[in-house]
Amino acid sequence: MSLVAEAFMNQLAAAEPWPENAALYQQLKEDQILLSDNAASLAVQAFLQMCNLPVRVVCRANAEYMSPSGKVPFIHVGNQVVSELGPIVQFVKAKGHSLSDGLDEVQKAEMKAYMELVNNMLLTAELYLQWCDDVTVEEITHPRYGSPYPWPLNRILSYQKQWEIRRKMKAIGWAGKSLEQVLEDVDQCCQALSQRLGTQPYFFNKQPTELDALVFGHLFTILTTQLITDELSEKVKNYGNLTAFCRRIEQQYFEGHDKDGSAAASARSAKRSLLR
Amino acid sequence: MAAPMELSCWGGDWGLPSLHPESLTVMAYAKFSGAPLTVNTINNSWSTPKADVPVLISEDTVISQPAKILNFLRKQRYNADYELSAKQGADTLAYIALLEEKLLPALLHTFWVEAENYCSVTKPWFASRIPFPLSLYLPGKMSREALNRILLTRGGPPLYSLTEVEAQIYRDAKECLNLLSKRLGTSQFFFGNTPTTLDAFVFGFLAPVYKVCFPRVQLQEHLKQLTNLCRFCDDILTCYFKLTITDG
Repeated sequence: MSLVAEAFMNQLAAAEPWPENAALYQQLKEDQILLSDNAASLAVQAFLQMCNLPVRVVCRANAEYMSPSGKVPFIHVGNQVVSELGPIVQFVKAKGHSLSDGLDEVQKAEMKAYMELVNNMLLTAELYLQWCDDVTVEEITHPRYGSPYPWPLNRILSYQKQWEIRRKMKAIGWAGKSLEQVLEDVDQCCQALSQRLGTQPYFFNKQPTELDALVFGHLFTILTTQLITDELSEKVKNYGNLTAFCRRIEQQYFEGHDKDGSAAASARSAKRSLLR
Repeated sequence: MAAPMELSCWGGDWGLPSLHPESLTVMAYAKFSGAPLTVNTINNSWSTPKADVPVLISEDTVISQPAKILNFLRKQRYNADYELSAKQGADTLAYIALLEEKLLPALLHTFWVEAENYCSVTKPWFASRIPFPLSLYLPGKMSREALNRILLTRGGPPLYSLTEVEAQIYRDAKECLNLLSKRLGTSQFFFGNTPTTLDAFVFGFLAPVYKVCFPRVQLQEHLKQLTNLCRFCDDILTCYFKLTITDG
C-alpha cells in the first residue's frame, strides 16, 4: 500500500490497545491445512505469544479467501484485518509492542536477512514439496486442500492452486530442480540457521525476536508433520541445537495453554491425521 | 585444477566488466579467489550460448547458475571463503537471500521493465550483442521474463496495479540498500580485509545500478547517497578489474 495509506493504518492501529477478542484465522487444522500454511500460522502464534498478546485461533475452510492478501494466517483485531507475519509484526509495533527494539542496527539487518533466508529457502522448499512433487501432490495435497468442498470443486480449486504455484516456481528457477536438490537446499539452510544459533537459547541471545518465531514455526511444523517420506524432517533432525530450540520454545510458550489454539496439540493432530 | 576454464557471459560498459548481475558476480568471485578463467563475452557470433548465461565450461562440464559455478570453483580449490567462521558463512547465505528477495526485483525493473530505460538503454545494448534475427526476439523475451518474475513473486493482493507493485519493490530495495550500508559500516569488505562470496554477490548486484546511465534513476540516486557502498564498488573495480572509474 502507499506510504500515506500505511501511515494512516499505523495511526489507526496505535489508537486502540490490544483487545481481548483478537482472532487468528487459518484453515481447518485436522483435514485441510497444508505444511507451509501451518508453518506460517504457527510462526504468527509464536510471535504473539512472545509478545504476550492473547489471540484465539479460529479455523475456517475459506480462510485463504477471507485474507486481504490471499495468504494465511491473518488476524482480526478490533476492526482491522492484517495478514502474514511481516505486516503483523509492523501492526503490533504500531500498537507499542516490539521484540526487536533492543537490537542495534547491524543486528536488525542480520535479523531481516535471516528471515529472508527462511522465506527464500525453507518456505519455497515446502511449497515445492507440496505442489511440485507428484507423489506428495496426489496423496496428500490434493485430498487435503479441497477436502471441505464437494466434487468437482475440490479438484478444480486444488488444480488451480497447483498451477499458480508451479508458475511461480518456474519464474524463480525452481521448476528445474529435482527433489534431491531441494532437500540439499533445505539442509544448507538448516546448517546456516544451526551455525547462527550456536549454543545460545535464541538467535539474539537472551530474548526471542520475530526471527525465532518464524524459525520455530517452520522447523516445528517440518518436524511434526508426517509426509510420504521422512527425508525433510531428517534434514532438520541432523542439527541437535535446532530441535532443542524448537522444544524450548514449545515448552515455554505453548505448553500449559490448553485452549483449542494450542500449537503443539494442533501440530500433533495434523501428524496423526496424515498417517495412513 | 589444471583444466582450463572458460566463462561465457555478457560484456560490459560504463566502466564495468559486465552489465549482467549474475555474470558480474561470477567474474568478481573468480578474481577474489584467484581462479584462472578465460572470459568470453557474448558477441554477434552464433557459437556463444545465449540462454542461461553465465556459463562455465571446463573440459566436458557445463555449469550454468552462479551458485553452482561458485560451488564448482570451490571444489577446484578456488575458495574465497577460506578464512570465514561458520557463523560468517551462515551470514553470507542470509544476506544473499536478502539481496535476491529485496533488491533483485527493483534491479530487474530498472533494467527490463521501466519503459524509458528499457527502450533507450537496455534493449539497444543487448540487441547490439546478439546476432540478427535473434536480436529482435531475445531482449523482448528477457523483458517479459523479468516482468513475469516481479508480478508472480511480489504482485499478489493487496497490490492490484503495476504502479503499486513498483512502489513497493523500490521501497524494499531502498531498505535493503540501507541495511547493506549499515552492515558494511566503515570496513573495506563485509568480512574484514579480504573479499568473500558475499562481497562478490553484493558487487554483482550493486555495480550495475551504480554505474549504468539510465534516464530513470531513482535507485541509483538512493545508492549514491550511501557513500560506503559506492566506495565499496569503486574499490573492487580499481583493485580487481583494473578499469578506470571515469569510463563512460
